[in-house]
Amino acid sequence: MRRPHPDLVATERRERLRRKGWWLLGAALLATWLAWAVLDSEATSSPPAARADAGLQRAAPVAAAAPMQPPADAGALSRQQQLAHWQQRLAHAEATLAAYRHATRYPRASQPLAWHADQAEPNRPVEEEHALSRDDARVRLRTSQERVFVQGDESVGFSVAAADESGATVPLRVLHASAREIAPAGAGSLYPVVPLDFNDDGRSGDAAGGDGNHGARLQPKAQGFAGLAGQIRVEVHLQVEGRQGMTYFDIFYTSEPPAVWQGKVREALEDGSLQFYLPSIVRDAGRYVAKARVDDANGTPLALLTFNDELPPGAQEMRLTLFGKLVRDARPAFPLVVRDVDAFLLRPDAFPDRSLMPRRAGTVHTSRDYPLDGFSDAEWNGEERARYLDELGRDVERAQEQVSRLAAGPR
Amino acid sequence: MSISLRSIARWALVALAVAAVSTQATNYTVWVKGRGTAGTPGDHLDFSYWGSGSVDAGVNKVAANWDGKGHIAAQNYRLRDALDCYCTGGNWCYLAAYSAGDMMVGYALDLYGGTARKKKMPTPNSQGVCPDHPDGTSQSGWNIKWALVAAGAAGGSELANVGAWAVSEDLVSDLKTATARSLYNHNNTAGVWFYMYAGAKGAAYSAILPGQDDEVVAYHSSGAISGSSGGAYCNPRDWFCNDLTYGTAAAQGGRAKWSFHSVFFRDDGEDFNHYVNGSWSGIAGRMRSDVVVYAK
Repeated sequence: MRRPHPDLVATERRERLRRKGWWLLGAALLATWLAWAVLDSEATSSPPAARADAGLQRAAPVAAAAPMQPPADAGALSRQQQLAHWQQRLAHAEATLAAYRHATRYPRASQPLAWHADQAEPNRPVEEEHALSRDDARVRLRTSQERVFVQGDESVGFSVAAADESGATVPLRVLHASAREIAPAGAGSLYPVVPLDFNDDGRSGDAAGGDGNHGARLQPKAQGFAGLAGQIRVEVHLQVEGRQGMTYFDIFYTSEPPAVWQGKVREALEDGSLQFYLPSIVRDAGRYVAKARVDDANGTPLALLTFNDELPPGAQEMRLTLFGKLVRDARPAFPLVVRDVDAFLLRPDAFPDRSLMPRRAGTVHTSRDYPLDGFSDAEWNGEERARYLDELGRDVERAQEQVSRLAAGPR
Repeated sequence: MSISLRSIARWALVALAVAAVSTQATNYTVWVKGRGTAGTPGDHLDFSYWGSGSVDAGVNKVAANWDGKGHIAAQNYRLRDALDCYCTGGNWCYLAAYSAGDMMVGYALDLYGGTARKKKMPTPNSQGVCPDHPDGTSQSGWNIKWALVAAGAAGGSELANVGAWAVSEDLVSDLKTATARSLYNHNNTAGVWFYMYAGAKGAAYSAILPGQDDEVVAYHSSGAISGSSGGAYCNPRDWFCNDLTYGTAAAQGGRAKWSFHSVFFRDDGEDFNHYVNGSWSGIAGRMRSDVVVYAK
């Protein structure tokens, strides 16, 4: 599914102009701006220049409109420059309006998963690479951690390996490794510093012995951090070919969940969209944020569904909406699979900023079959969208007025 | 007409003019700083982080200052207060974000961008909090036309990974690439487009930062490359490294950008580094020149 974009004009011509003389562009813009300041008495706006794309008008850079030779009539040149720039602003305004309309035909809470590609597999390990130290970048450390946000009885696996400049794995020796709470500023930690056994022997969290990857596993609740709601740092001090280095991993741990899932998912086709109701028992009231992924029957990624709303204590349902038009446009094979649900209580202006609910990895719910014509084909029409379309439409009108006024005058 | 009636009419016209002005929509340019303690939190007129406050930096410029060292989550209310002040009701905003300010904006839009916001009057107190609009109504989200982002650090920096900064600083731990990329959904911008300015005049830490960099953030972050970790992205003349592409296209090698993010400026000439230096310098200065043109 295509992703929306307004396109920016950052053309090769623009780059040549920049290399030729940035000051020429600045002078032309300054002159034009001075003219606008006199003539433009309204609060108007245009976004940056848009790269052309199918369906959107290419807008020429402002500099391209500035003539390179002196005009016969200074007044006409000024008007020409103004017209060129307002034409560009009109193009930008039209592109912005079109892009916003295209981007918001589905509500924020129900969008194609392709638009959120890095949210599709939330339970994949985070794999990174960085220099051994700030003073030695010839040796690279390859690290992985199973997750960043950890809840309840969950454990987290970590690993580190070293590679030389050619990318070949080289031996490393872990000098010492430990996990400790990163306490809030000014506060001491009430939790112990827990040693961790990073090894390459295939034990205690190491996936496979002798492969160069040194692994360890931390289960916060069982290893000294029961009751913590905060940040835990795993530090690994190591040595590669006689050179010292360090890597660290941060996780954010919630010992006790603010709410728990309770019961089966309920679904209902309502007002042309498919609603999934996830029942829960809320202990701590507040704003809950939940995300769920939806694939079709062939495993094709379909949608990212988001819940973001206040919940009081007690038995509550989180409603995740699969928007009708999204279904009509994607034409998925039924039944649909709801998978990989994560949720948390948002703690505004605090750190950590969330208390995690239990993770629901894998398939959470399989839908019934539905005919496509049971879903609405209407675009999202929320108050926010109407407000934006109205304002961006006014930008177009204002720019068009200027273009019409300037075009009617002498060139 | 007697003199007294003439005076009454004059004052009535003045009152009408005042009423008209008070309801006229106004555009604001909200500057969101990065790491560093300059710029008094809550003082929207304090541009000391950036440089001279008299410099043109867009229509009705305001500085959404935060402490520049605390956790993004804990300091985010400073930005939300500013957005409530200037980007609600009939008023609209352009955003100009820099470095960790990229993460500030993205975090706010993902987690709060769809929440009910009380409409405010743009007259902040010393803490940067504005009074409610007299009509007492609310709206969903803010009014933001677009965001320009220079040296965006929403993807984190490897300088945080290797301990080049004090890892005890709260913000530095947020800037660890794995943490920065998992902190919020970078694709959920409430429909607001982020136009990225990526500098490449990096030298001191080029061995630590993958691909091209501006000495603090690499192209994978300033160029809005998606994913749970960074990677090496370069200019076209760097043959042995995938290109950071312009626009919304995936980078060379296939890694997508975050949705609603578009690379507007790529520093092919390696002319712009990361540092504002209190004088509107570096890649932020390059961005400012476009803010001046477009934020009207």
